[in-house]
Amino acid sequence: MTGRVIVITSGKGGVGKTTTSANIGTALAKNGYKVVLIDTDLGLRNLDLLLGLENRIVYTIVDVIEERCKLKQALVKDKKNPNLSLLAAAQTRDKTAVNAEQLKDICDKLKEKNDFVLVDCPAGIEQGFQNAVAGASEAIVVTTPEMSAIRDADRIIGLLNTKEDINSTKLLLNRVRPNLIKSNEMMSVDDVVGILEIPLLGIIPEDTGIITSTNKGEPIVNDENALAGKAYRNVAQRILGEEVPFLNLDEPKGFMAKLKNAISKLKVKV
Amino acid sequence: MGLFSDIYNTVARFFRPQEEQGEEASKSVATNRLKLVLMQDRTNLTPKILEQMRSELIDLLSRYVELDKELLELNFEQEGDQVALMLSIPVIRAKDEDEIEAAIQAHKEALLEETIDSDETDEDTEDESEDDSDEDDEIEDDGEGEEISEETEEIEASEGTEIKPKKRKKKSNVSTPDEMNSTSQENEITEQTEEEANL
Repeated sequence: MTGRVIVITSGKGGVGKTTTSANIGTALAKNGYKVVLIDTDLGLRNLDLLLGLENRIVYTIVDVIEERCKLKQALVKDKKNPNLSLLAAAQTRDKTAVNAEQLKDICDKLKEKNDFVLVDCPAGIEQGFQNAVAGASEAIVVTTPEMSAIRDADRIIGLLNTKEDINSTKLLLNRVRPNLIKSNEMMSVDDVVGILEIPLLGIIPEDTGIITSTNKGEPIVNDENALAGKAYRNVAQRILGEEVPFLNLDEPKGFMAKLKNAISKLKVKV
Repeated sequence: MGLFSDIYNTVARFFRPQEEQGEEASKSVATNRLKLVLMQDRTNLTPKILEQMRSELIDLLSRYVELDKELLELNFEQEGDQVALMLSIPVIRAKDEDEIEAAIQAHKEALLEETIDSDETDEDTEDESEDDSDEDDEIEDDGEGEEISEETEEIEASEGTEIKPKKRKKKSNVSTPDEMNSTSQENEITEQTEEEANL
């Protein structure tokens, strides 16, 4: 078996790389695929928290590289889903503890026994980024519809284009707020895609449920009712090669919003 | 009456579609700013290269029209969906055919000389991309600059960024800093051109 190694990157911090990694990983595992998540954010690990696995980490990626344990020993299995496991980052070391060659080696080993290896990349364009992309053949660039995030994403896309091993780079637009787009206060999906000029993999709406899901250490894809959860499940389906239409985010949800919408439509007709 | 209209306005505003409420759509401001900044990020047009482009353009255009070099502007601007390179050239006057002819001739010979130059001394051409300050120094050093007003010198310096090997040569040759001058051996021609230009 040769699995796919996908790096999840963004350039800018705080746009949702780790949330995206946790959710796509969980969704793929729920579909029955064997998935390993690698946290490469050495010194600033968080993927364990989002998965609720922080108390079960014994060995980290640095222990594997420095041969204090076997690769298999360092993989932490998810509580609910045995298909999903995590290779955690070391919290007490920095990015220089690992080099690109070593990370590529780990990815190569992991993809032999897994369908997907998802690499959660740290923010920035330095060593940490170079390490994270080393073993990957596909990339997901996460951005939000904000200028600074888009600019950094553009830089990352440029860098990914120079990597010969990366043969697919796709965009995941996170924290989209349809009401702001409607009022022309936020760049639309088309605006962002038009600027970055890479294929769109998914649109994730801003969802307060993300906060509670992080609090609980339970990815939002497990919440059947959450819109963001549904959007992430759709992303997973697209990664698996299915054609899933993008969510229609325009529908107002609350009663007041519906009323307001209905009346404003009436007024236009009059 | 006032109370009722207040209430009416408040209620009306609530039901109005949101896009009518905002003043200038801030997203289009963001999109335009972003396009510009990405254009600069993506290309490697550093200020230094832009300056070189500017001086080369001045050089080219000066053959045909007399420009106000100080006021010439070269900027990136947003034109609808596209990013455009905007060149604003204040023209003092158009040159007549003879002047243009002479200037083109001078330029051709300058190019020719440059080729010979670079054939002879490779180092000279390699130095081409080096800083301008060096250049200014040399002009001052050649003793010719004493009687020239600072203004003229500045013009020459900015003009000269493009064709350095020739300037370098000037050190040994007699030269007069003037608008069309960028060669050493064509002094006579260029001086003449300047005279004509001043008429």
